[in-house]
Amino acid sequence: MAGAEDWSPELAEIAEREAMAAEMGGPERVKRQKDGGKLTVRERIAGLLDPGSFHEIGGLSGHAEYDEQNRLTKLTPSSFVLGRGRIDGRPVVVGGNDFTVRASGPDPAAGKKSIAAERLALELKVPLIRLIDGFGGSVRTQDALGRTYIPDNPGWEHMVANLGQVPVVALGLGTIAGIHAARLIASHYSVMVRGKSHMFMAGPPVMARLGQTFTKEELGGADLQAKAGACDAVAETEEEAFALARRFLSYLPASVHELPEQTAPSDQPDRRDDWLLSAIPRNRRKAYDARRIVRALVDRDSFFEIGAAFGGSMITGLARFDGWPVALMASNPMVYGGGWTAEASQKVSRFVDFANVFHLPVITLVDIPGFVIGLEAEMAGTVRHGGRALTAIYQSQVPWCSVILRKSFGVAGAGHTDHSRVQYRFAWPSADWGSMPVEGGVEAAYRAEIEAAPDREAKRQEIEDRLNAVRSPLRSAEHFLIEEMIDPRDTRRLLCEFANLTAKLRRPGPVSFGVRP
Amino acid sequence: MAELTVRAEFAGIVLSVSVEAGRVVEADQELLVIESMKTEIPVGSPKAGRVTGIRVSEGQTVEERQPLVVLET
Repeated sequence: MAGAEDWSPELAEIAEREAMAAEMGGPERVKRQKDGGKLTVRERIAGLLDPGSFHEIGGLSGHAEYDEQNRLTKLTPSSFVLGRGRIDGRPVVVGGNDFTVRASGPDPAAGKKSIAAERLALELKVPLIRLIDGFGGSVRTQDALGRTYIPDNPGWEHMVANLGQVPVVALGLGTIAGIHAARLIASHYSVMVRGKSHMFMAGPPVMARLGQTFTKEELGGADLQAKAGACDAVAETEEEAFALARRFLSYLPASVHELPEQTAPSDQPDRRDDWLLSAIPRNRRKAYDARRIVRALVDRDSFFEIGAAFGGSMITGLARFDGWPVALMASNPMVYGGGWTAEASQKVSRFVDFANVFHLPVITLVDIPGFVIGLEAEMAGTVRHGGRALTAIYQSQVPWCSVILRKSFGVAGAGHTDHSRVQYRFAWPSADWGSMPVEGGVEAAYRAEIEAAPDREAKRQEIEDRLNAVRSPLRSAEHFLIEEMIDPRDTRRLLCEFANLTAKLRRPGPVSFGVRP
Repeated sequence: MAELTVRAEFAGIVLSVSVEAGRVVEADQELLVIESMKTEIPVGSPKAGRVTGIRVSEGQTVEERQPLVVLET
């Protein structure tokens, strides 16, 4: 029995304040959020984390109102909810905007809590999940302050630090703009919800004043932003976004100070799929389903694609081989024949940096006809972005394995590996490489000879036949230009061996620079 | 009934058109073939529906995002 001398009254007041905070922005605003088909921030946290694992920090912060006797009459919680929790049993930090509270009064704690979330994840060396639902600045601030200010991006330094230290997942769950849009992209993996979340630098009302009318969906819908590469995935529901976040984190260490862990192998390392022998068409002009090949090679159901809607000629994602997490890239001949565009190059740069930061060995399945050519490609700065991707590949220090499925041509084709390292490399019998494909290169290289011939077409054909006769990859193998020519059905066994052999070569710790989003 | 415009995901030359207006198509059914970077790439229907318009013809150069086929889904 608590006596009169103890602190029960204060505990009761704490409980009372917590109960008020749990009301968020009040029933009306909560209803508006729900009517918009959205979850509240507390429902989001509960949906993301292991059940019952949320431990709130700063739950008493908010805007308090008192009567004349200085008794609390109302506590509107801060618009940012922060805490620790667990995902698949592993500790994480989570922070989310409470849109129901926004604009209901001064909220100095919100920004501090947002920064505290960043710092806490960094300090504890655990993943951070941002649940984002808010706009950026407003000129109303100027009215309230009676002055203006040079803008800074509060907490950006911590976000930059986190990109090189702990996994950061950002879920865009409402209409987000300004600093919140920047918080979304400053992550290793971001998700928006189709039809429910929108992102822009300035929204439809601002654009309308410029004489351009857009709906939110037209200006910044999830599919638009995924296609633009500004977010990495589109979910149908918030629940799916939480599931994606959990799955992404399952491949990663808690921080760069640890290594990605092997899970109990769920698949036979020596499984051979017979159809792989016919996966690449004998006709070099025909495209094929690269994702089907990826799925056949990795541990069953372990492929987790990232950025599917952007830079489509390269497929990137996380996967497991004999339980070991790896960063997997594959050329996609269904888009530009697998040619590297400016966008695909950007995707590769960011993905390789990400793999390097989290000590994920890279496996790349290569069918690269070169950089995409033409006026549009030149105007997109393809060579700049491509050169940057090659640089990221040469700066990476993680174990690297290339499997050449078909083409490897020119500067982009060479970018399947850092050639100065010991090559852990295989080629399928369908391999076809060189400085450029014979079909396109003959006219340019033999112009004078062809023009001087009485029958130009016959001459061109003669040269092409001569070059095709020495095109076999086995001629390269004679000169040890390719390390191993393999039966495609053995690929999985060899990649599992690679994952096991190189696991102990991975080194924990921060690398010299983090991911630039 | 919703109208859905299938757009080019990559630039290239239309090699062949596999459907005509009025055709009912399944999801993933080939609508046309575009040649890009010396590869013949089939463009499949994103959804089941009925073709209501073809916006390109054989031999035509297409740019990224250019409308190819209009579907009623």
